[in-house]
Amino acid sequence: MGIIPQIIANSIIAGAIYALVALGFNLIYRATNFFNLAHGAVSVVGGYIVFGLYRLLGLPLWIAIICGVLGSGVVGYVLEKILFLPLRKRKSSQMVLIVASLGAFTIIQAVIAIIFSSQFQTLFDSSMETKLYQIGGGIITQVQLIILIAALLIMGTLAWVKERTMFGKMVSAISDDAVVARIVGINTNKLIGRVFFIGSAIAGFAGIMIGFDTGLEPTMGMSLLMKGVIAAIVGGVGNIYGGVLGAFLLGFAENFGVWQVSGEWKDAIAFAILILFLIFRPKGILGKK
Amino acid sequence: MEYIIHLIILFGIYGILALSLDLIVGFTGLLSLSHAAFYGIGAYAVAVLSTTYGMNFFVAALIGMSVAAVVALMIGFVLRKFKDDYYALASFGFNVIAVSIFLNWESITKGPLGIPGIKRPELFGFVFSTNTLYMILTLALFALTALFVWHITKSSFGRVLRAIREDEKALEVFGYRITRYKLAIYVISGALAALAGALYASYITYVDPSTFTANESIVILSMIILGGLASLRGAIVGAAILIALPEALRFVGLPMDVAAQLRQVIYGLILALLMLYRPKGMYGEYEMK
Repeated sequence: MGIIPQIIANSIIAGAIYALVALGFNLIYRATNFFNLAHGAVSVVGGYIVFGLYRLLGLPLWIAIICGVLGSGVVGYVLEKILFLPLRKRKSSQMVLIVASLGAFTIIQAVIAIIFSSQFQTLFDSSMETKLYQIGGGIITQVQLIILIAALLIMGTLAWVKERTMFGKMVSAISDDAVVARIVGINTNKLIGRVFFIGSAIAGFAGIMIGFDTGLEPTMGMSLLMKGVIAAIVGGVGNIYGGVLGAFLLGFAENFGVWQVSGEWKDAIAFAILILFLIFRPKGILGKK
Repeated sequence: MEYIIHLIILFGIYGILALSLDLIVGFTGLLSLSHAAFYGIGAYAVAVLSTTYGMNFFVAALIGMSVAAVVALMIGFVLRKFKDDYYALASFGFNVIAVSIFLNWESITKGPLGIPGIKRPELFGFVFSTNTLYMILTLALFALTALFVWHITKSSFGRVLRAIREDEKALEVFGYRITRYKLAIYVISGALAALAGALYASYITYVDPSTFTANESIVILSMIILGGLASLRGAIVGAAILIALPEALRFVGLPMDVAAQLRQVIYGLILALLMLYRPKGMYGEYEMK
């Protein structure tokens, strides 16, 4: 077995997880036009809810996962209602919104660490059988295969919602011009609340998947968020297809980069890519939508 | 008494950090999240030069400040085009890269183990051995910094910075080379942060990468936002409060790790609540627009 197919497999898995984070981030950015830094912590919430319900309380796995996804969605929704919506109503600047979301991020991360300790935890337990699949010379685990399929399903559904449903079109209208959207009778704040719920729930799902694949740590939210944001910017901020493209590109760049240098440089590689894109192509590959 | 002296030394170090960050965020209006990187450069310069090469603290600190200035010049050059959210993100990225370098350049920085056994400063045969003497040194350098920063903000240079913050385009019409001003203030601010880092390294006598993460940048940002941007009094009072407030948690008798996390919750709450109710902070001259 060559090493290249394995790296390709790893890149695709990483790309799928980043894509989920980027999707949620982009959805929220499209509707509100600000960088929601709390998104990373919201994602981790999902993973820890599953950890608490499934590993600590012993509830069935599927219930835990549903609660985790919904829990992240609710946290995102509540943040919008108590923090971001009042700020937007006051026509606060982007800087104020970013700082506020940074505050929310810090609080959530610390609260998770207080409840579950800062230790590294994994959702995976020995009772789950580890089936390995060999695809084109690379080996992936069953968990990774599930991540990949689920991610593709979510992306497909989202694309369908965006293009084919009234909800998707209304969100596009808000992102084009919120004032006009309001004039033609769209209840923008209600819609944005839902967008926060959906985007956060998707992020929560990503957090859960990481919990199974590599494990959970309260502080992983920041790096997760940054991967999502970088994927979004590389692909084109607010462009949901761009975000997915950027995520896979990032997954490949990181994994091949790590192969060439060392694992410790992963985050630095991601940021180097971000900075290169910001300098030479700030609109991303597909441009802003 | 030892404990009070310890707090005063910390206050002096963070006072320098807060004042220097305020030059960028408050006076020039650029949301920098890279301050801890320069703080780290100063600390590592003193750590490496004084342990491996037995160099005098003051010479090492000056070298550290120069290195920080050169690095700031390069980073500032990349950052010159960005504003608001992109500026915050890119500067954050540089902090992550800096920490990766502290972690991975093991031949110089000893990686995650850090560098112990840093000596206390010595001047013409006089050693700042006790904490009381060290406090005097720290406060003296803090006062010098405050004076220097005050001088900058009162000068014509400082007025140009404020004008950049208020209306960059108009200033450009008048023929000001805005990039040069932005670069200059970034370099000055980075060098001052390195001075704080030098003081920190020599006081704690040990450095490791975890002290200089982007989280630390957020802590320093919280200080100046709490005190109020573009106000020297604000930066100093903000630093004092955020040093003193979490210390109160010590006396409640919480376990160490919970107290550390509660401290993070406090920082996050301060950021979020201030944005909601008083974005100007305590003495702010400039409200983030």
